[in-house]
Amino acid sequence: MPSNPLPPPERPTRAGLASPAESGHGGFHTARDAKNARRFNLWMLAAAVAYLAATAALRWRESIPAVSPALQWVLVGAALLLAVAAIRRYLLFLREADELLHRIQLEALGLGFAVGAVVAMLYPLFELLGAPELGGRAIAAVMLLAWAAGSWLATRRFSGGA
Amino acid sequence: MTNRLRVLRAERDWSQADLAARLGVSRQTVNAIETGRYDPSLPLAFAIARLFGLAIEQIFAPGDEVAPALAEPWPLADR
Repeated sequence: MPSNPLPPPERPTRAGLASPAESGHGGFHTARDAKNARRFNLWMLAAAVAYLAATAALRWRESIPAVSPALQWVLVGAALLLAVAAIRRYLLFLREADELLHRIQLEALGLGFAVGAVVAMLYPLFELLGAPELGGRAIAAVMLLAWAAGSWLATRRFSGGA
Repeated sequence: MTNRLRVLRAERDWSQADLAARLGVSRQTVNAIETGRYDPSLPLAFAIARLFGLAIEQIFAPGDEVAPALAEPWPLADR
């Protein structure tokens, strides 16, 4: 058997291996993943709040005089900017993620996109057959749910269902 | 692929978390590699080999899924 006295003190230099591994999130997150996930969640929360505020303002703009046209543009613009910032944070999270977490996220994104695309293309046919109409938001929600389901399934697969 | 990661780790009395910290990956990555559910990337395989002071092929071996391909002659070998 090989005798390797001590592991090298320096870690490999690959970007994906650059942070110390402190297992969180069921052991799937390194310390850097956890930090990146927290930042993404904060931006997502901010984007969601801005989206809800913009939606409420536009829905009740007739009855609330304070909601001027300029303010409506500001609210919608803020929601858009925060959503873009959240997307950027997610991409950074994905780029720097531990390689197994990266794989899990890619599988989840693949499932979310595929399910969303199929629903977007096929559901209108069901609408013609009399199914209730779904808007774009419902399809986006289906994509998000499929992404979450894909993340759960892939996590389960790689951890052996434990 | 099959691998000897669990054996090598046990010889050094490291936990999965210890090995994960040394490699800079998550504990579940180490667990998934050890149980054969996940094949590491080439950079991570090199990092593992360097950590244990071995060649990659002394740790990892192709499994059934790639063995038939390895048995075939290399297409460009005769050129």
